[in-house]
Amino acid sequence: MLGKPVNRREALKRIGLMGAGAVLAGCGLPAYANRGSNGRVVVVGGGFGGATAAKYLKRFQPSLDVTLVEPSRRYYTCPFTNLYLAGLRDFESLGHDYRELEDTYGVRVVHDLAEDVDVDRRRLKLAEGAELSWDRLILSPGIDFRWGALEGYDEAAAEKAPHAWKAGPQTHLLRAQLEEMEDGGNFVLVAPENPFRCPPGPYERVSLVAHYLKHNKPRSKVLLLDAKDNFSKQGLFMEGWAEHYGDMIEWVGLSDDGRVIRVDADRLEVETEFGTIHRASVLNVVPPQKAGAIAQRAGVADESGWVPVEPNTFESSRVPGVYVIGDATEAAPMPKSGFVASNQGKITARAVVADLAGREVPEASWTNTCYSVIAPEWGITVANVFEVHNGDLREVPGSGGVSPSGAAASFRRNEALYAEAWYAGITQDVWGTRPGE
Amino acid sequence: MNEAKKETELKPVRAVGARQPRDPGRRRVLRALALGTAAVALSSARVPAYANARGGAWWQRMDAAREHLNGATPREGGIQLDLPGVTQDGSAVPLTVEVESPMDPDDYVEALYLYAAGNPTPEIADIYFTPLAGRARFSTRVRLNRTQAVHALARTSGGEWLAASREVRVTVSGCLSQDGTYDFDSLMRTRVRASERLGAGEIGDIRTLVDHPMETGLREDRDGRTIPERIIHSFQAEFNGEPVLDIRLYRAVSANPYLRFPIAPSESGDAVFRWEDDEGETATESARIEVG
Repeated sequence: MLGKPVNRREALKRIGLMGAGAVLAGCGLPAYANRGSNGRVVVVGGGFGGATAAKYLKRFQPSLDVTLVEPSRRYYTCPFTNLYLAGLRDFESLGHDYRELEDTYGVRVVHDLAEDVDVDRRRLKLAEGAELSWDRLILSPGIDFRWGALEGYDEAAAEKAPHAWKAGPQTHLLRAQLEEMEDGGNFVLVAPENPFRCPPGPYERVSLVAHYLKHNKPRSKVLLLDAKDNFSKQGLFMEGWAEHYGDMIEWVGLSDDGRVIRVDADRLEVETEFGTIHRASVLNVVPPQKAGAIAQRAGVADESGWVPVEPNTFESSRVPGVYVIGDATEAAPMPKSGFVASNQGKITARAVVADLAGREVPEASWTNTCYSVIAPEWGITVANVFEVHNGDLREVPGSGGVSPSGAAASFRRNEALYAEAWYAGITQDVWGTRPGE
Repeated sequence: MNEAKKETELKPVRAVGARQPRDPGRRRVLRALALGTAAVALSSARVPAYANARGGAWWQRMDAAREHLNGATPREGGIQLDLPGVTQDGSAVPLTVEVESPMDPDDYVEALYLYAAGNPTPEIADIYFTPLAGRARFSTRVRLNRTQAVHALARTSGGEWLAASREVRVTVSGCLSQDGTYDFDSLMRTRVRASERLGAGEIGDIRTLVDHPMETGLREDRDGRTIPERIIHSFQAEFNGEPVLDIRLYRAVSANPYLRFPIAPSESGDAVFRWEDDEGETATESARIEVG
């Protein structure tokens, strides 16, 4: 019919030129054109990635039929939970709802859990029994934990030694434990190997825990046991720790026997690779991770547990028509950050709109900004720009950078202010939250 | 080799279960920062010498492997080579390899060669086993300067050759920054963890780590001078005076070399480990293993 084999996108483009509905059916493609919209897109997950994708799908193509599936009516962000842990921010200020998506942008929001995906029939099954059909599916499921991958650390153990790596009950549990901890106690954080959600997260967390302890339980110690020998913004964190917390924070990297191989949550003890036992008053374990459950059900994840994607669109490398964004993806060198997830949401929304319209997908590039707060008036950043080069994602050479080392206190204070402004800006963009709401 | 050999004092094995005093934080920072730089330095290096137009299997395209094979053709299989498919940190990529073998005196794996085909020089390590290892298994952490294939080549005592390969995609995380120099204060400091008690016929586990920059000779200091190569090139493990394993290390082994391998002693005794670097600096460590 078309002379030579063509890929789906090329086929769509040609079909678009012919304008022949009959050809669509012949190719096994969805006949969305006769449903009175420009296609149905279902987005799973209402975090930074998914909520952004849903909004920008409607902004780019208002006639699309867009459904967002998210269990919570109010979503609490992982970014800035460390400020809550330090007592510097109210937990409710981290919550966002979906009213703007529904009322302003016309996204249908379904508060249910996406339970399974039937790729052949293009149906998403929800926990309460309903099914949603799609022409294109975008998954933004975030992370799940690999329970048991670190010996002794399962869901039951997390009730005693919280991870607090998803905002919610675990965050409250860790805050309560910090409040109950005696002065002179030992806060121990176990950091995993790469890749994991929020690369600077463990280091910001110990910073802000140290801030809380310095002002409330000053004889206490903070120990960070790390499975890595280097980490995000390392020099800047070390400088900030020395400035604000003296020797209160101790970081033990991989080569200094920092890798934890066993957790005993009942005794609040961990064992390192070379046999050192560390006892904690409060034990915070950031466990090994993988893509959220629905990614495994959809068959888009590989043996690593993460999701390989086509660089320019974030369409699954394994399942055509299913796009995956955010922390669930293998998108290195892009970090698993909220900012990147949101940016991927925009770029992928644009790719999906172009694909459904039979247009060529524009060339993509992404940005990232990660602020970390070391003390209330001491912020640092890393920023990057990413592109596709020879079929792989890469950082645009010379595009990025981190805050200067040795900068004046006023510089750090400004960056702490920018961090607050960053949070206000991105949550307004994604969920429509206005300052003070 | 430096003529002025210095013998570091024999250090006791660190007690299991006790928290050890550690270095001041600053030293650790400097050392950790240095780990990252090695991979970065590798990536700026020249085109590898073996990268020529010859086709065929990887071992035909790699001089080091071809010399070992000396005309033999390896069988693909019988080797489990584990590395992550994607890694964000090319300066320390975990590698575990195991060759299927009974490890009997009349049928064991004599030699295992590991290569990183896309590094400036492909050799990672040559591992020589004896049946006393119990299994032909070895773990370390390696430097990979870019996306590439890692290869293993094994020779059995019967003269058979086996081969295996694994692709690793290397990215550098946008959230990592690397700078600094290696701090030599703890050079040759060792850590060992060995199985303390084994049942008869049980195979034990030994992990070792030695503080060393594994300077590649491929990077420059701030004034643009090449920092000379200085690596731990030799590691030996013995049990009651009998060799268990002998390793030649190359610059693709990560800073602070981590070596893990099995041991299958038939009686109680002492395992002794010895490291040596290019300047003749050595370290020795021992561990008691009770059997039965």
